[in-house]
Amino acid sequence: MELIDRYLHAVKFWLPNEQADDIIAELSEDIRAEIEERESSLGRDLTTEEISGLLRERGRPVLVANRYLPQQHLIGPVLFPIYKFVLKIVALCYLVPWFLVWIGLIAAGADQGGTRGPHGWAATVGSMWGSLWFTAFISAGVVTLVFACLERAEAKSHFLRTWDPVKLPAVRNPRLISRASTGIELAVSMLVSVWWAENLSSPVVLHRPAATIVFAPWWNYYFWGFLSLSFAAAALACVNLMRPYWTAIRAAARLVLDGAGATLFCCLLKANILAEIVLPNVPPEKSHAIAAAINLWAARTLPAGVVVGVAIVTIDAFRVVRFRNLRPAPPAGFLNTVGRIDPPPQTSK
Amino acid sequence: MKPETFDHLRLELRRGCLVLAVLSALRAEQYGYTLRKILAEHGVEMDEGTLYPLLRRLENQGLLESEWREQDKRNKRFYRLTKDGKEMLKQLLVEWQTIDSALRAVMKEQRNGTDRPLPARG
Repeated sequence: MELIDRYLHAVKFWLPNEQADDIIAELSEDIRAEIEERESSLGRDLTTEEISGLLRERGRPVLVANRYLPQQHLIGPVLFPIYKFVLKIVALCYLVPWFLVWIGLIAAGADQGGTRGPHGWAATVGSMWGSLWFTAFISAGVVTLVFACLERAEAKSHFLRTWDPVKLPAVRNPRLISRASTGIELAVSMLVSVWWAENLSSPVVLHRPAATIVFAPWWNYYFWGFLSLSFAAAALACVNLMRPYWTAIRAAARLVLDGAGATLFCCLLKANILAEIVLPNVPPEKSHAIAAAINLWAARTLPAGVVVGVAIVTIDAFRVVRFRNLRPAPPAGFLNTVGRIDPPPQTSK
Repeated sequence: MKPETFDHLRLELRRGCLVLAVLSALRAEQYGYTLRKILAEHGVEMDEGTLYPLLRRLENQGLLESEWREQDKRNKRFYRLTKDGKEMLKQLLVEWQTIDSALRAVMKEQRNGTDRPLPARG
């Protein structure tokens, strides 16, 4: 019987004080009644192993006690899907950009050429890694705390039960391209192309009494490269304006354009493109130093450029995959856009 | 079909019936262990981890009352229905019968409908 007392003591530990004695008395009586019945059917006392098996069947003390307690939760099933959604948004909009910036900063540190040596670089990685986790825990903790408060408020006021179906958001067609944004994109592409062609066709991009700026001879490649991309973007915007639905081909075209643009931009940052700056009242040596400093600054921003470029290309690639997996037929009506399955065509025998 | 899916659904189906079974069995006074045995004899298996918390909940809701009394030289807690409990049992039985007849009607219609061709689309 010592085993039963130990079991009951372990259960009692998890019970609220005001009910513990009452519950334990009843549980004790139930266990003893069961043992008595088994003993009378067997015609002998139960062995320690048999009592142990009987208690094992009843369950671990903490679980047995837990059944007597009211249901407890920090965030209940009503709010939990919203909580999960908000955590995803926080991860996507806060932690992922933070992580990308972190990669950029590490790369920039490495690019500056071991000013603190390999140990200093490792220390930077370590401290930033720790900082990322700290930020992640703080973010998740704050969101959890807010939702725990909301849960308490919801339990009292039931604010989630009052809602208006009329205020539900409109159904969004994943294929639809906003005509307004395409129109803006087209206008910007055209304006940039015209401005680019007007002002940057020659390596001497500025020739005024106040200043003269001359680019390196290889500027021509970049000039034509960016101009072609700008025209291509305008052409894609025209197509999107006429047929405002994403297709896998157009998504792939966007991927190629953005990938080429990002590559060209990153090359430009490293190209020492600024050949000469002439400023009145500034000695030539100082002008050269200014030009070199600007080129160096541009080269040092390369990691940030790479991070942004990779992020854009990743989003574009994700879009290509997404539209490859969607049904190919462009939607004709509202219901089709939300995934209605049309009835199969009637076949005659 | 996974066996655990069946177990889960069966548990859900039975959960709602347990209160009705306990209230019905307590029309006559019982203590926990005999109540569990009576239910088991009638096919309603309930482990003690489910039964005793349920009894406490029903008592807190005023549907049961209990009393510690000595029997066979041991203290036992006896449960019985209160006036509210009897009234609740009556209402729940009506509800149960409504659900039962509705389910029977649905199942009968489904059985008859399986041989019938599907109605043509309009």
